[in-house]
Amino acid sequence: MKDERQITAIQSAAILVSTIIGVGVLALPLFAVRAGESGAPLVTVVSVLLAFVGLAVISLLGMRFPNKSITQYSEDIIGKWPGRIGSALIIAYFAVLSALTAREFGEVVITSVLTRTPLEVTVIVMLLLAALATRNSVTTFAYIHHFYFPLLLFPALLIVALSLKNAEGLNLQPMWGNVSWVRPEMVEGILTITALFQGSFIMTTVIPAMRRPEKALTASAWAMLIAGGLYVTIVAATVGVFGSEEIKNLLWPTLELAKGTSLPANVLERLDAAFLAVWVTAVFTTLFSSYFFTIKEASKLFRLGDHKMFSFFLLPAVYVMAMLPRSILHMYEIIENFGRIGLIFTIAYPLMLWLIALVRRKRGSQ
Amino acid sequence: MLRRPRKPRKSASSNVQDHSLDQALEQTQDKLLGKELAQTEHFFTNLLGINNDFVIRRFHVFGRHPAVMCYYANMVDQALINKDILKPFMYVPSHLEGKDFGLEQLPEVLLNDAIYHSACKLERSIEALVNAILQGNTIVIVDGLEEAFLIDTRNIDKRSIDTPATEQVIRGPREGFIELLGTNISLLRYRLQTSDLRIRTMEIGRRTKSKVAVCYMEGITNPDLVAEVDKRLSKIDIDAVLDSGYLEQFIEDNHYSPFPQVQYMERPDKVAANLLEGRVAIMVDGSPMALVVPTVFNQFYQTVEDFTERFLLMSALRLARLIALMFSLVFPSLYVAIISFNPELIPTEFAVAVAGGRAGVPFPAIIEVLVIEISMEVLREATIRLPQQVGGALSIVGVLVVGQAAVSAGFASPITVVIIALTTIGSFATPAYNAALALRLLRFPLIIMAGIFGLYGVMIGLIVIANHILSLKSFGVPYMSPLVPGNFEGMKDTVIRAPFTWMRKRPSFLFPQDRTRLSSQTANDQAASKGSPLNPLKFKEERKDTEE
Repeated sequence: MKDERQITAIQSAAILVSTIIGVGVLALPLFAVRAGESGAPLVTVVSVLLAFVGLAVISLLGMRFPNKSITQYSEDIIGKWPGRIGSALIIAYFAVLSALTAREFGEVVITSVLTRTPLEVTVIVMLLLAALATRNSVTTFAYIHHFYFPLLLFPALLIVALSLKNAEGLNLQPMWGNVSWVRPEMVEGILTITALFQGSFIMTTVIPAMRRPEKALTASAWAMLIAGGLYVTIVAATVGVFGSEEIKNLLWPTLELAKGTSLPANVLERLDAAFLAVWVTAVFTTLFSSYFFTIKEASKLFRLGDHKMFSFFLLPAVYVMAMLPRSILHMYEIIENFGRIGLIFTIAYPLMLWLIALVRRKRGSQ
Repeated sequence: MLRRPRKPRKSASSNVQDHSLDQALEQTQDKLLGKELAQTEHFFTNLLGINNDFVIRRFHVFGRHPAVMCYYANMVDQALINKDILKPFMYVPSHLEGKDFGLEQLPEVLLNDAIYHSACKLERSIEALVNAILQGNTIVIVDGLEEAFLIDTRNIDKRSIDTPATEQVIRGPREGFIELLGTNISLLRYRLQTSDLRIRTMEIGRRTKSKVAVCYMEGITNPDLVAEVDKRLSKIDIDAVLDSGYLEQFIEDNHYSPFPQVQYMERPDKVAANLLEGRVAIMVDGSPMALVVPTVFNQFYQTVEDFTERFLLMSALRLARLIALMFSLVFPSLYVAIISFNPELIPTEFAVAVAGGRAGVPFPAIIEVLVIEISMEVLREATIRLPQQVGGALSIVGVLVVGQAAVSAGFASPITVVIIALTTIGSFATPAYNAALALRLLRFPLIIMAGIFGLYGVMIGLIVIANHILSLKSFGVPYMSPLVPGNFEGMKDTVIRAPFTWMRKRPSFLFPQDRTRLSSQTANDQAASKGSPLNPLKFKEERKDTEE
């Protein structure tokens, strides 16, 4: 089957934004405040910049090898077997990432809306939804992201806008936070938040299907601007409403933000359940991307023409991984640690590939 | 030795498949007419004579040559046969009177001098002659000639051209297609009087031999699309095509999708508009519905009036239709989800009122909604089947009396009845019946998901539906075009209907060969100021002048 090249720059930006915005947003202000207290928005900005470095490297690599994804050009750059090992590790990492996303959202759902539903059911439903969707081609993959993209920005911005009436500007001061910027918590926090952006790694699968791969970097920059801007806005709004000390006691500050707001004219008295319902789309797109990356790259690694076979084949493994963490706290510990380790695969490894490609003057065919 | 016996069997089976003839004609395939009249007559009597309405009339051409005329009595124009066929065959034309013709001159003289009927030709193949009789034409066989005269006398009773029942408009043409293909083509030609309108006909259906016409605009429609339509149609080998709906199910891309990927329409003006956008229309003899491909989702909430009435008002109405379409899909499931899982979402006073209404109802919300929904579907089916005289009465009895009684019996809460009524009305507001049908069907799984998982379930259900829609394609055109993949030019005709001066180009997702719909000159002229010949100020001064 020949891969079609139909994805436009706008679509790839939409893919990136809807992939990045996901279940991580719910806990994001907590990570940021733990690192920088009232300097949380600034911490987020630093993370966005760091994440953009990773995304830029991926885009540059993709533009250098416009017909290949990371599993294919890594073999060209560092040799057959080292490349294969690297790719296998990345694929495994994204399988774990999919599992953790499904688990995290499953936990959110059973804690806040469906309190009597078993965790297994919500996780399986999410995974099945993603697996069913991955049986489509990469063009449909782009269409799906493109379609959900506005549905995802709008509720988040609405919640932020509505919560502003409860916000207190003083909560955001001092801008730098009351803590030292070189303490280990700060570095850990920045890396954790950066890890929330690593869904953007999907760019490497998207570029070979882009109509004009040379626009990849522009698309990435726009995507990072939109997604990063939204993240910083949400952190700022949450800190502005609750204050940094209060946030440290909340597990999902963004959800609490939704709880505290109501629509004008009292159409809906509370927004948290509605927000969570709409947020299913955001989580779906994230999960869809990471799972699609997993099976698409796995099929490329094994030189298979069709990725559909893997979509249900890998599902049990991902499900088992999702059920491994013992509790919410254990899960968040894993998410944070795993996310930071993952940066090795999603930023350091591509950076190394790019440098070697520069040195060895490797370049893909146009 | 083992192989040999299989061979003939194989060819025999393929032979059966290849047959596009009925049983009686199987032997006559490729046979030609003989010279002996008695023999030919005997053959036709054997083949068709058992039917009471088959007429064989013997007479003498120019009083000398014995001949036979055959036709089906109920399918022909009797007066035409008497006047325009029998008479010129029997009498020598006045300007040739007194001359003597040999047998070999007869066809020439008859064709060129005697018969004054335009659709008349000579035919040798028996198969063609039999088919002509079956279609309602008349054949005349003259003794000693190897060719028979085939004269078009078909006259099928048809209903008059009427207001289309499925697509009513307040403003716009009121003609609808009827069953006869010829009339339908004339209705279409009348609206597109251009040599670019191309109509290709083919026959589909082994037994029905239904004429299928593929219509498109040369120079606008993408030739690849026309070729693909031809390819898909020519692959159909079925015994009967009784309606265009048969063909739709063969040419659509995804058979298992609830969403229609082919649009059908009853209005010639709508078909003309679609042809001009670069689509292909398929019409079948015997069906008043033309199929139009490719189809995208946003066609299902558009009407003809969107374009005949002014854009501002119709944009608002289109928005209302879009909301009705969404309502008919999600309203009951949202209700079930909120009532059973998240009553805290709705304002407290209202929640109390809902709870009060539901106090006497013994079932959970999902059962209540499902029961009422299913009875509504039953009622809807019943009103279609009922004779028209009682249909109206029953729907009133059904909706008002049963609804009221169900509430007072404690069977359903008043709000449930309101919700279901709104949903049903919403689904009637969708102009395309087949799309409304799809949403009607998908409502049920959504209600069940809502009953199990609440709002979360509704969202999961909607995501599955949206993903499915996004993966659909109609002849390669993504189903959500022009929204996804985004096309700014096309989006002017999606949620709102932009004024014509904004939509100068044809929709690009159909890849038309000629993209310009409205000349830029017109658009500029529209923008330029218009004269005001009846400006009162002018007349005031004129009057002053005359008074003076």
